[in-house]
Amino acid sequence: MNNTFINSFFASVIFSLICHVAYSQEMVNIHPENENRFLVRVKQFNEFIDRFNYKTDFKGNLIDSSFMTAMPRGKMLASLFDFNDTRIDRNGTGYSQEYSENVSGFINTVSKDNLIIDKYSPSIIAEARSRVTYHGKQHIISVYLVQEITGNDMVKWVILDVSGEMLDFSEKDTTNIRFISPGSNETDFINLKRALRDTGYLQYYASENYTPDMLSIFFYCIHNGIITFDYVEDVTYHILDIPGWVFKVREFNRNTLNSGWLITDLSENHCTRKDYLLSLRHNDR
Amino acid sequence: MKKRISMRMKWFFIVTAFMLCVAMAGQTKTAVTSKQAKIVDEINLSPADIEVFKEQTKQKVDEFQQYIVTLGSKDEPSEKRNMAEKEALKLFYKGAEMEISYIQPDGNVKKVNRPMEKYLARLKSLPYTKVLIRFYDIAYISDFTKGPDGRYYSTATIIQEFTGFSDDEIIYKDITKKDIEIIVDLIEDKFFNEKRWKIFLGDIKATETKVAAP
Repeated sequence: MNNTFINSFFASVIFSLICHVAYSQEMVNIHPENENRFLVRVKQFNEFIDRFNYKTDFKGNLIDSSFMTAMPRGKMLASLFDFNDTRIDRNGTGYSQEYSENVSGFINTVSKDNLIIDKYSPSIIAEARSRVTYHGKQHIISVYLVQEITGNDMVKWVILDVSGEMLDFSEKDTTNIRFISPGSNETDFINLKRALRDTGYLQYYASENYTPDMLSIFFYCIHNGIITFDYVEDVTYHILDIPGWVFKVREFNRNTLNSGWLITDLSENHCTRKDYLLSLRHNDR
Repeated sequence: MKKRISMRMKWFFIVTAFMLCVAMAGQTKTAVTSKQAKIVDEINLSPADIEVFKEQTKQKVDEFQQYIVTLGSKDEPSEKRNMAEKEALKLFYKGAEMEISYIQPDGNVKKVNRPMEKYLARLKSLPYTKVLIRFYDIAYISDFTKGPDGRYYSTATIIQEFTGFSDDEIIYKDITKKDIEIIVDLIEDKFFNEKRWKIFLGDIKATETKVAAP
């Protein structure tokens, strides 16, 4: 993505806004520039989906032929990427040809095949990075949520998983110092008490195949007041709905036309949601 | 013999026809019953209803903004400000919270959560003699989605410029983006003895965007 594209994007935006007149609700509109900036801003994730699907324009109106002329779908899709990403800045030091080609390829595929995101898809994972308090100290965890359709057209968000360094019990023993010895059975496992006093390494005494259920641990800790949930710091959406791809969307709070909910990363993906989530948890460590 | 057979055939047809009629009547009754059950179970909003609610949502948000202006202005009589506080609270669903994000000088974001009653009460203690709120006519309202409780949920996003005055001097100015949860609930109207859809405001996430040029 280069300066020519960015300039033509802004020109298209201004042209499409001129086509539709806007008025401030207050008596005096002294900042029309601000108003246009906020019109173009992707104000909600819902709006991101509608723009991605080429359903609504910058004013939330259904896209018509004049808008299509000023802003074809490919341009609209390109506008949903974070322009400050150095990987797509040809003149920057962080430029990545491979990533730029991926982005172009993705935009071409989505436009050509007219692919859209299902708003209530179970392949949209919301990662709510959150602050919790544990033993008086603040920690960061990620809570993963997806939408679930219940009954007739009823939707709710459900917690799928949780990850965070403080919840990580998956570290494996490589030193063979901590174990329950063979023959322990003959003394009715007297050393079990000693093992379970070794509270920092309990998972070493579990089976090789032991996989902790983080969500159950989290619920248990919240229920017993061991962890207090403070607030959600930010939300990133991982969208696996376009076959062969995964992209992340988060909110950019800045005073430019390219702001709001934007694509921050794109990569090829052939994993199921379950495996993708597992990879997110591993990256969190 | 022929006559006997044809009599038998006649009775066979009559009995069969009778049984068919009974079965069909039963089926029709069942079909009507299940259709009624479907209507009762699925009180869905039509696209026309949804457009009406989008308009009403804008009005509720405007109303809320007007109450904030009254609450934040010390120039207004205290009786009027107290009434604004009470009326503003009526707009909200029980348990609604206000979350405010501040951009700190080091660039980090700090978040503060307050129950709506506390937020409105704090507005009254702001040090401004007058408050001016300008908001852009760009309220974005998302689609209404039905929740498992049968209520409809949406989000309205508004951008507002807030200016606080001490007499004629501007002492504070900012631009804030507010994401307001909207809840459409079926409320019983005891006077008219019927149920009506009513719009409530829910949680609000307020994010400081930038300090506007004075």
